[in-house]
Amino acid sequence: MRIRFYFLLLGLLGSSVLCAQNKELLYDFYEIPQSLMVNPGVKTSEKWHVGIPVISGLSFQGATSGVTVNDLFANDGIDFTTKVQERVLDAMTRKDDFSTTGQIEGITVGFRGRNRPDDYYSFGMYGETDVIVYWPRDLAFLAFEGNGGANIGRSFDLGDLKLRGEMINVFHFGINRKMSESLTVGARAKLYSSIFQFQSIKNSGNFTTTEGQDNIYVTSINANMQLQTAGVRGFYDILEEDTGTTKKDIKSLFVDRVLLGGNLGLGFDAGFSYQLTPQTTITGSILDLGFIYNNKDVWNYTLNGSTSTEGISVYLPEDIDNVDNDLWQELIDDIDAALPHGETQESYISFRPVKAYGSIRYDFGEGGNSPFNNCGCGVNDQGGGSNRDYYRNSVGGQLFMMKRPRGVQAALTGFYQKRFGKTLALKTTYTVDKYSFTNVGLGLNLQAGPVNFYILGDNLLSYSNIADSHYASLQFGFNIISWNDN
Amino acid sequence: MKRSFYLLLCISALLLLSQSCTEPQDFSQFDDLSITPTLATGLFYMESDEVTINDAGSLSTFYSQTVNFDAFNEQYVAEHLIEGTITYEILNTTSKQLRITIEFLDEAENTLDAELFNIDPDPSGINIWEVAYGPGGKSLDILANTSSLRITATNLGDATSVSTQSEPKIKFKSAAEFLFRLK
Repeated sequence: MRIRFYFLLLGLLGSSVLCAQNKELLYDFYEIPQSLMVNPGVKTSEKWHVGIPVISGLSFQGATSGVTVNDLFANDGIDFTTKVQERVLDAMTRKDDFSTTGQIEGITVGFRGRNRPDDYYSFGMYGETDVIVYWPRDLAFLAFEGNGGANIGRSFDLGDLKLRGEMINVFHFGINRKMSESLTVGARAKLYSSIFQFQSIKNSGNFTTTEGQDNIYVTSINANMQLQTAGVRGFYDILEEDTGTTKKDIKSLFVDRVLLGGNLGLGFDAGFSYQLTPQTTITGSILDLGFIYNNKDVWNYTLNGSTSTEGISVYLPEDIDNVDNDLWQELIDDIDAALPHGETQESYISFRPVKAYGSIRYDFGEGGNSPFNNCGCGVNDQGGGSNRDYYRNSVGGQLFMMKRPRGVQAALTGFYQKRFGKTLALKTTYTVDKYSFTNVGLGLNLQAGPVNFYILGDNLLSYSNIADSHYASLQFGFNIISWNDN
Repeated sequence: MKRSFYLLLCISALLLLSQSCTEPQDFSQFDDLSITPTLATGLFYMESDEVTINDAGSLSTFYSQTVNFDAFNEQYVAEHLIEGTITYEILNTTSKQLRITIEFLDEAENTLDAELFNIDPDPSGINIWEVAYGPGGKSLDILANTSSLRITATNLGDATSVSTQSEPKIKFKSAAEFLFRLK
């Protein structure tokens, strides 16, 4: 129990220490090549870029809209059960969630077309883990308080159980094209190689105990529940066997899944940047419009049906000759039959969490020389007042939306960006979303010759006590960038 | 000067990003978590019309049955039960005094405990008995060792009288409400 709890804690709450899917700092931070991954239509200036393998793009994000680690585990002398009651059970709603996302970029390469310098191609591979668990409010009340006492008559909503998670490897190829001086568009095709996926997102039903028609209480359950898993059983079986080759077998299976040996899917990103005026730009993108077809290593667990019981019931004279003394077992069997549960191996399609960004940016503060004045590409950097790189300051707003099992999550961001020559650019953001109203982020991009380093951190105000943070995010990486033939 | 400014900014930003700290956390508090839900369920219901009682005769048993009942002695239940109450509710609208006995039997069918209810003829209203188990009540071992229940219903009156009620019946209801310690 304890180990399971710590595992849950590590997975759900602990991840918030490091780290949601919104990359408001990276979005439209065009000095960083990885900004192509959140808007394929971002304006690009470089001639080519290569990410340093594995460390070109690391991002960890985590969020809890309800209780924090500190709320529960602060050394404050308050009884732990009281804290759970007041800060979790009484405070959290079914819309609260724990979520975490991590991305590790394995390879990323970008280059400008030799014959079509208006085109910037990029491709690569990255791994992504994304888990969201909604607080199963009624089920938690059922576990902590039971169906008796004050809960007689209460309907516990089984639909409160909603969770989704996956680990995937993504192979991608994108094209960014400058259509005109004011419009840049881009698109990216993605091939998903699933390592594992699980979801329990279409549950419904209820569990109630009320005054019975005959007996004192009648307990009723109406359940339509399903947990779908793909790729999980394979790992579970290896761990269960616990042979001397467990580590090797896990590694082998993992590598196989990473390299297209598991369930596969397709996805699509698209985006644009449009310069309304020389100083005003709007952008937009939609990411991970895709799916994975899960037909390998699929194990689904189902519970469907409805029944009610008032206990063992005897009606005389109808049952006078019934000398069966297994009435209890018959009752159990009847309930079991009315609530069919079992495992299936039916294939299913899981949709990726679609994300969308939009922004408006106003550039100001002429800086004289463009920070990319050594660019040899001649694209998006033609000097003069029409070039956005000519301006040293940017201010604007961004909107982020993401499809989640309980609907669309949105975040609104205001940002200010300052460029200090061609070596340093800073971006600061203020974001409002369901997790935090005090999310101030800071991003830094450092260009030392061809070496590019960036680090982006969110919700910095919470860093004074990160255990009390509802949201945290950290991204960093190294790239080699060239704007000329060097 | 300009370079120093950039450097200062750079270092400041890096420091800001790296200066995360946290108040001390005590994860051992989890050991103190107490989860004690109250679970409620209907147990046994029996009803009989007056004709059946009369047919059995005067001063005779009109229903006797031993039923396997393993709900309490399931290992998990037996180990996690803290306390509880079994509520019996009896409504007698027949014209005769009745007695209902419920015996708690172990696997060898030895009687561990018994509850005996004498119910007056109509109008006797709704009779409610609450039997507590656990601290201050009967031993939880009775429930933990109960493997079956023997229910006996006896007519203590005559075999001819008929109640003036439209559908005279004896209704025996029972339910359990128990406190469990899950953690």
